[in-house]
Amino acid sequence: MVELMIGISRDLPEEDEIQVEKKKKKPLDLEQAMPLLLQAFEDGNIDTIINPRLLKVYDPKEATRMVTCATACVNHLAHRRPRMSQMVVPLNTWVLISYFKLAYNILRRPDGTFDRHLAEFQDRRVPANRTPVDGVFSFDVIVDRATSLLTRVYRSAPGGEAHPSIVEFERPLSTEIVPVIIFFHGGSFAHSSASSAIYDTLCRRLVGICKAVVVSVNYRRAPENRYPCAYDDGWAALNWVSSRPWLRSGRDSKVHVYLAGDSSGGNIAHHVALRAVESGIEILGNILLNPMFGGQERTESEKRLDGKYFVTIQDRDWYWRAFLPEGEDRDHSACNPFGPNGKSLEGLKFPKSLVVVAGFDLVQDWQLGYVEGLKRAGQEVKLIYLEQATIGFYLLPNNDHFYSVMEEINNFVSSNC
Amino acid sequence: MGPYKSGISAGSSSSSSSSCAGKQSEIDGLLSGAGYKVRSSDLRQVAHRLERLETVMVNAPAEISQLASEAVHYNPSDLASWVDSMLSELNQPVPMSSDLSDLPYIDGFVAPALHQTVLSEGWTEQNTHEQQQLTVVTAVEEDSAIRLVHLLMTCAESVQRGELGLAGSLIEEMRGLLTSVNTECGIGKVAGYFIDALSRRLFSPLAVCAGSSLESDILYHHFYEACPYLKFAHFTANQAILEAFDGHDCVHVVDFSLMHGLQWPALIQALALRPGGPPLLRLTGIGPPSPDGRDSLREIGLRLAELARSVNVRFAFRGVAASRLDDVKPWMLQVGPREAVAVNSIMQLHRLLGSDSSRVSPIDSVLGWIRSLNPKIVTVVEQEANHNQPEFLDRFTEALYYYSTMFDSLEACSLQLEKSVAEMYMQREICNVVCCEGSARVERHEPLAKWRARLNGAGFRPLHLGSNAFKQASILLTLFSAAGYCVEENEGCLTLGWHSRPLIAASAWQAVSDTSAPFGRIKDNLL
Repeated sequence: MVELMIGISRDLPEEDEIQVEKKKKKPLDLEQAMPLLLQAFEDGNIDTIINPRLLKVYDPKEATRMVTCATACVNHLAHRRPRMSQMVVPLNTWVLISYFKLAYNILRRPDGTFDRHLAEFQDRRVPANRTPVDGVFSFDVIVDRATSLLTRVYRSAPGGEAHPSIVEFERPLSTEIVPVIIFFHGGSFAHSSASSAIYDTLCRRLVGICKAVVVSVNYRRAPENRYPCAYDDGWAALNWVSSRPWLRSGRDSKVHVYLAGDSSGGNIAHHVALRAVESGIEILGNILLNPMFGGQERTESEKRLDGKYFVTIQDRDWYWRAFLPEGEDRDHSACNPFGPNGKSLEGLKFPKSLVVVAGFDLVQDWQLGYVEGLKRAGQEVKLIYLEQATIGFYLLPNNDHFYSVMEEINNFVSSNC
Repeated sequence: MGPYKSGISAGSSSSSSSSCAGKQSEIDGLLSGAGYKVRSSDLRQVAHRLERLETVMVNAPAEISQLASEAVHYNPSDLASWVDSMLSELNQPVPMSSDLSDLPYIDGFVAPALHQTVLSEGWTEQNTHEQQQLTVVTAVEEDSAIRLVHLLMTCAESVQRGELGLAGSLIEEMRGLLTSVNTECGIGKVAGYFIDALSRRLFSPLAVCAGSSLESDILYHHFYEACPYLKFAHFTANQAILEAFDGHDCVHVVDFSLMHGLQWPALIQALALRPGGPPLLRLTGIGPPSPDGRDSLREIGLRLAELARSVNVRFAFRGVAASRLDDVKPWMLQVGPREAVAVNSIMQLHRLLGSDSSRVSPIDSVLGWIRSLNPKIVTVVEQEANHNQPEFLDRFTEALYYYSTMFDSLEACSLQLEKSVAEMYMQREICNVVCCEGSARVERHEPLAKWRARLNGAGFRPLHLGSNAFKQASILLTLFSAAGYCVEENEGCLTLGWHSRPLIAASAWQAVSDTSAPFGRIKDNLL
């Protein structure tokens, strides 16, 4: 990382930089660089150590950040050398996602079974809340008693009233179009639930930002419930949502449905949309956030990013083995929809898609392949590629990606009005 | 802050090392929204330890399975404790703070502080305000059912306002509507009970809701069989008591409501199997005096003694007859000086919340004498509901929602007789909440958050129920019926609910030995 400093020079440039000759400045080695770096921090003046050849054309903030990083990297305590993942996310995000990573490692057993009790114990959940918080209230509904399928419905308090009555809960939406977003939470098919705090938060934000109703589906999880249970549950939820009179809006008085999901939820959204297309239920759009796809092949991004940003090929493999039918490999169409066993979407009235890919997600080659697959089939798709994002960037609203993606989602669901 | 990227500051996610102590001790607002409590000032340390834990896990993958199967986990919201306990489990020294050489924070990127969205502390409290709360039951297909609920609310409101004429006619209307609604299940069934309760409140307020104690016994027994709530209460409390008694040779359980003593055979057997042998067990059972001259307490005691004898546990029983818990005096319990005492209260404390201005508040006096016994553990199980609010409409609404869910969960029971009688058990409770006032209203349920505050204030601190108790509860639940019941962990307490709605909460406590520290910190655990 010292290279970023573009050569820390011994002499502090006092004269006009352009006159400084290259030969006089010999790059310092680590031992010599340290005191200068520390001094610069204390003075708050990084100019003294940035290579004069940059001629003060650097952005001071950017440079400060690089200096901070560089210094961290050359820290003499080797075990304190930061991970790559630490450089690209804020501290609290890093703590959260690292905790998930390690806690989840403990839950996955090598024999393919899952410590469900411990997982449920650790999952941080919140109940539904009929009292609006920041203008959003929620309630749980059992959609299918046979499978105990539960969904959590999030709405904004009508007319800003503090206490919606039950009749209000199920009152039809306005003559303006109100998008209904059916949301499938992530968790690689095995973790989390509709009541997990992280997803409850996300759904509430979606309601606020998109002025939508969000229906979060508590689908059955792997490995206890393999393919196609999650898709069946998604399908049941879609049917339920589409047939609720009180979710209708707009002059045409119909339910304006979008499907959305992150990680495994994105995968589920795709497959539910596929079923809908074949059955004639209209879906206005699909929103896939870091969707979970894969295949037998090891792609370049998987090899390059394995273990670097919270996720490993090994854990991805475990989750696919847990979800796919026993004996199937990752070229199964659930995992690899445009692979050797996939079906063509050409000519089908598939909804338009918004696909968000994080630049540090090791399965991005599969996600980008998915986007290509949609394009090849003549389907409308918008790709948002976030170079500096890791998985889970949308869990905490403390980074630019979060806000820009929320804005894109908002535009995506309002563009039909 | 380096090397971490500077986050957009929302709340306390980025603080410089020279900020004042107040800010340092703030919980990170964003992680709190995700369900995790970490102080901002601890974030770096926690990150460091997570790095260390990862290195260890990578180097010793076989040990990971040990972490799942053998380690007991506590209070998953507390990330700092979690990572420390994982490191201890793997025999790693927990890194000391002097290892950290923090680089000065360069405040290069602080974006304007954003409005910190304080998310509802949903899991602790749903109804802190005394305002209109409304119910939603399961997927309500029929318009009549929605209308029925609406009418119930309106009727309750008119009762609160004293508009008795209006209330009466609404009751008529609702009775009529009942004929077009399915009263076999769902809203129709529970609405019928609420209509009856409202009617009773209006027209025969002096009618007593409770039957004879024999009836109560029968109802209780069927409720016990029909659904898992009481069983959950018993085995969760027993697990905690068993752990608290570890290492003690003389133990004494004080049971606030012996009933049929259904909780104790399992504890006796568990003690019998204890490595190192069972302790001497004394059980003091408190219960109402028997009306017909029988000594039912003693009868139960004899049966338990027989069981204890059969498994070679030295056992002594004492019955204390009292119609109210606050009539009990500590000397009646005859607690010995070297005994480890467990006080067990299954749905009894809420009965003490009625205030009678002529006496010291009953709950305070009872909590006071519990504390004076210096118990090793106090197990408390209570309904997770807010049925003690001052405004009638609020109580009514809460109860409608709560009992709808309870009735719904009963649907899962396949034992027809037990189910019907269990419904009567709940109908009694509904009646008490809706019809009664003053000292007659004993079903004064309060939610876990309120009990926590009360017990903390009375000089108790929480003992956390861990993943082993959680696992046991989950496994035992799968032996009953339906998917639908769920156990959840809530800051060291366990709740049992139906489809994401907690209905009963179990917690464990210990008296704080030093009276100068009335508010126990949730972080401590001793088990």
